[in-house]
Amino acid sequence: MTLRDLVLIRLGVAVNLVIGQIVSALLLPVYLDAVGTILVAALVGPRAAIAAGLVAQVLNAVISGNFAWLPFGLVQVAIALYATAAARLGLFRRFATAVPAGLGMGFVAASCSAPISYFVFGGVTGGGVTLVTTVLRALGAPLGVAVAAASYATDLLDKTIACALVCLLLRSLPRTLAARFPALAR
Amino acid sequence: MIGYVAGRSPLHRAHPYTTLSVAAAILFGAFAMAQPLAVWLLVLAAAAVAAVGGVLRSSARTALLLSLPIWVLLFVLHGLLGATPRVWVGPVSLSAPGIARALILGGRVTAIVLGFVTALGTIEPHRLVEAMTARGVPFGRTFLLASTLTVLPRMRERAAQILEAQQCRGLRLGGSPVARLRALGPLALPLILGALAEVDEQVLALDARGAGSGARRTPLDPPSDTAWQRAVRWALLALVLAAYAWKFWSMRA
Repeated sequence: MTLRDLVLIRLGVAVNLVIGQIVSALLLPVYLDAVGTILVAALVGPRAAIAAGLVAQVLNAVISGNFAWLPFGLVQVAIALYATAAARLGLFRRFATAVPAGLGMGFVAASCSAPISYFVFGGVTGGGVTLVTTVLRALGAPLGVAVAAASYATDLLDKTIACALVCLLLRSLPRTLAARFPALAR
Repeated sequence: MIGYVAGRSPLHRAHPYTTLSVAAAILFGAFAMAQPLAVWLLVLAAAAVAAVGGVLRSSARTALLLSLPIWVLLFVLHGLLGATPRVWVGPVSLSAPGIARALILGGRVTAIVLGFVTALGTIEPHRLVEAMTARGVPFGRTFLLASTLTVLPRMRERAAQILEAQQCRGLRLGGSPVARLRALGPLALPLILGALAEVDEQVLALDARGAGSGARRTPLDPPSDTAWQRAVRWALLALVLAAYAWKFWSMRA
């Protein structure tokens, strides 16, 4: 890994952790905690994106103290791999392709996070997802169905917005800056 | 409060890898425990470790604050809305298996948080970096862990400045969800594009400091490691493996 990759990974980690500040200022019901991972996947490649996702997960635990959520690092790995494939297919070049790519990413992320949430934490992971799970459970849905439905609903929305944001970012990159990232030309 | 608390306890003086091994053993051990009593014994063990480190009060307070919302949600989701058979506790009908499950899941989270908050409170970040360097951990890994933590406050400050600047230019943060979503671009784009523009400058600065040389770095004051500490780490690994062996054996029986 080159020094440039390391600096970009650090940037991806920082974006994953700081974007929440903007999201909470806007009172949006999403996390967007994978924007940095997706961006690094598009700019560098899968190894760097996996590193960005895992380091962000660990540092998030260090900052918040909530180390119980470390198993969700697996979701960041899945997102990194999916985002790399999507970037290589050029899906982040236009909104028309980035939005469906985001829906697919949401499906992949939820397919990874729902079993972890259900089997490891009994559906209680804190935050908005658990509130949706609780409401569905109160309406009579079995716990497994409630956890899965809440995960898919939140992840589909979250990752679609994240992919649209990355598409907007890549389209806004000045040509001189974009030329410094060979992975973008692929 | 999460972070290093200065002190002279055995945990403060221990090699950082030993303290991290204890926290990791609590993490993996928690997932190996499937009975409420076993999980709560682990919580007690984590509290005992915090007491040895002289940070029991601060660690327990932090662990309690972080675990409390989880406890409330577990009580509602499993205790109130759980499966039959149900038991009456005063005027409230609770699910018996749901309460048992909530005790296991809540205990796990409490033990893990307590273990790692204790580790954070007793490991001096500088000593950890020195220990990693002494073990020949590549520069990239120590850079990512240590340097990102120093970059975060700067990024947070810049995000706050961009937020204020855009509001001065007339950006509205309220309104419908679609309007708030539209405001995401003007706030996130300057932050990320600005950081991307600085990448080359940071690479040059690191290169000038010899970060890209690949040579093994020599720590100035590496923490001392002893034979008994290595033995403790191996014993913890053996304990965790034994806990998983016991778990799978009892599942098959």
